Amino acid sequence: MFKNYLKVALKVLARRKFFTFISLFGISITLLVLLVTAAVFDHALAPHSPETRSDRTLGIYQLTMRGPNNTQNSDPGYGFLDRYVRPLSKLPGVERFSIVSAPQTAVSYVGGKKIESQLRRADGEFWRILEAEFLEGSPFTSEDESGARFVAVINETTRDRFFEGRPAMGRTIEVDGQRFRVVGVVRDVPALRFSSSADMWVPISTTKSRHYKEEWLDQFHGLILARDRADLPAIKSEFQASLREAERHLPDPKRYQTLTASADTLFEAYVRRFTPGNTDVIYPGRVKALLFLLMLLFMLLPTLNLVNINLSRILDRASEIGVRKAFGASSRTLVGQFVVENLVLTLLGALAGLVLAAVVLSALNSSGFLPYARLALNYRVFFYGLIMALFFGILSGVYPAWRMSKLHPVQALRGRSV
Amino acid sequence: MTRHLLKLVWNRKRTNGLMILEIFFSFLVVFMVATLGIYFLDNYQQPLGYDWQDVWRVTVDMKVGDNDDEAMAAARLKVLKRLLGEIEALEPVESAAVAMVSPYDQGGWTSSTTIDGKEVEMESNGVSAGFAEVLGLELVAGRWFREDDTALAWKPIVIDQDLAHTLWGDEDPLGRQLRERDPTEKPERVVGVVREFRKSGELAPRTNFLFQHMSLDVPSWFRAQSILLKVRPDTPAAFEEELARLLQGVAPDWSFRIKPLAEARTSVFRSLLAPLVAGGTVAFFLLLMVALGLFGVLWQNLLQRTRELGLRRAAGASRSAVHRQVLYEQVILTSFGVLLGAVVVIQIPILDLVGFIRPQVFAAGLLFAAAAMYILSALCAFYPSTLASRLHPAEALRYE
Repeated sequence: MFKNYLKVALKVLARRKFFTFISLFGISITLLVLLVTAAVFDHALAPHSPETRSDRTLGIYQLTMRGPNNTQNSDPGYGFLDRYVRPLSKLPGVERFSIVSAPQTAVSYVGGKKIESQLRRADGEFWRILEAEFLEGSPFTSEDESGARFVAVINETTRDRFFEGRPAMGRTIEVDGQRFRVVGVVRDVPALRFSSSADMWVPISTTKSRHYKEEWLDQFHGLILARDRADLPAIKSEFQASLREAERHLPDPKRYQTLTASADTLFEAYVRRFTPGNTDVIYPGRVKALLFLLMLLFMLLPTLNLVNINLSRILDRASEIGVRKAFGASSRTLVGQFVVENLVLTLLGALAGLVLAAVVLSALNSSGFLPYARLALNYRVFFYGLIMALFFGILSGVYPAWRMSKLHPVQALRGRSV
Repeated sequence: MTRHLLKLVWNRKRTNGLMILEIFFSFLVVFMVATLGIYFLDNYQQPLGYDWQDVWRVTVDMKVGDNDDEAMAAARLKVLKRLLGEIEALEPVESAAVAMVSPYDQGGWTSSTTIDGKEVEMESNGVSAGFAEVLGLELVAGRWFREDDTALAWKPIVIDQDLAHTLWGDEDPLGRQLRERDPTEKPERVVGVVREFRKSGELAPRTNFLFQHMSLDVPSWFRAQSILLKVRPDTPAAFEEELARLLQGVAPDWSFRIKPLAEARTSVFRSLLAPLVAGGTVAFFLLLMVALGLFGVLWQNLLQRTRELGLRRAAGASRSAVHRQVLYEQVILTSFGVLLGAVVVIQIPILDLVGFIRPQVFAAGLLFAAAAMYILSALCAFYPSTLASRLHPAEALRYE
């Protein structure tokens, strides 16, 4: 039975080539856009090397101090993180804690050429939360941090820029007026991964001034690695408790009395970053629903288009439907048949969409539009694509099929329009 | 004629309803992209207020701590003043100044004041006396800041025409006091008006702008974050390294980043236009899809109506009359879709949902989208209607 449907479907597609082309074009372009979007989301949010444990990592990326007339909001400072967040690492659910700075643009001049790098200052634990792929050498350690050694880990692109791709181990680079010895080279970390990406990483203790140790608001982030995803809620509430403790030691209690911050998963951090205005309370669930709604809205136009075309195609086959009805096929059987036909069409379109998406993604990767991007169609994205295609196929097939099954056999046999 | 055609459209309401819906959504898509594009174009055509050519920006990080005292602030200012002096002495540099916020900076400083019960927002900046010369600001009234302004019993303020107009309409702003201040602080008084200043660049909307004077002798709460310098045209890029060495030599504890404003401008343009380009590309493919779809549906519909149109021909209607009928029917369908879309989008300016876009820009976007829909429909209907008008009456009547 199903095989018969398939055969008919392919025959029908081959008969009206122009219509088939229009349908396939619409489906593949729609899925292309959805797949590329899905790939970017996957790239930014799913666990990928080196952030293979991002699903059980929490980050503290923002801190707000408030008083009656004053509000100050910035990345947290090292002093705050070190004194009030680090103690959380004693919790049984916490595996590691690290402090790392936001990336800063740092300039070097090499042989008359200017090189701009994103520089992060990190402690030794940072490298034990990440699973970075080292092409040369190894990460710097907590001893390097406590000994304020001028050592650096650089990424592949930086090695190419400074040393034309020759081994960089043990060589010296000068950045922002300081000289570092290269101890490790890692594969490029995509710039969208905002808690880890940089061109070079050096110990925090090499910072030019000692101020950072006292700051509450500065340019550092805290990363907490949980033993298990189930530990995250408990860690979040412990973090809030440590904020209450910190509030009693605020540096300028006349101006500021309360602290607001949160330990966020990657998705929550993105939502907070893109929420306009006050970001004390965010709604990740609503944002997910909104994204889904946007996807539906985007699919609306192509779906309408496909419904229109399907209706026209079906009118063409009125006499076929008449014959089938006259021989006793039920409306439900007919709806089933046409939905299957439409699914065949959508899946063909999806296949074309996948191929197109692969091309567009590799073009995006090499364009440098998203620095260090390695967008790819992995099995997750492929799975999203398949779901979208099925959804799309059913959505655009049901209405025309229903209209068609309503045809009166006598009229249909005469070839009258719907 | 129109009534008759409306009846014909109504008779095929289900098929046509879907087409109207499709045109409605396409209209919305075109409207969104067109409005954003026109918004940028409209902003681009407004005066900018300064020259970014041959101006370099040095971003300075002075490593200021939260607990620094007055003495440290004074020491920093001394280093800053020395830096400025050394930069001005360099051969390719024509003039230099210090500012809190540089043109094309991402962040900024916004303050507000209440006038007659309504809150007026303004972008602000603290700048040294050389700023006007470096960026070529055009004064329309009063004067610019002078080095010795710190001796005054009040704080001099320079505003742009937008702010002057918002605050006092056509009255003379010179000498006016801007805000009610704490009595312990000096009052602020307007000393000059510049034609325009749009910190965020050509693509951003016009905003109110206010300058305060940053002295290089007396510490204030201003934190100098940029040094701006005008260089001679055709200064080689190699000068950048020389400048960097000089700065690092004078202040080894600070961090510096040098960038021609032209580069900063390019990256601002890029980041603002990227969504437009991405949205435009997606919209283009959506429209292409819709156009092909409409074309196919119209073609199929006309095949269905062969007998009807054949009858008209047999009854004496000319070719062009049939042609016109088909096109006109399509125009009616499009009008429904566009009307529906216009009713929806007109709510945006009425309800003031997106405050920063002017109603004129919305109107232009609406007109553009409507025109695009009519052109698209006409293109899609043209070939099928030509085919229909070519039908031979006898053949058409025999068609089964």
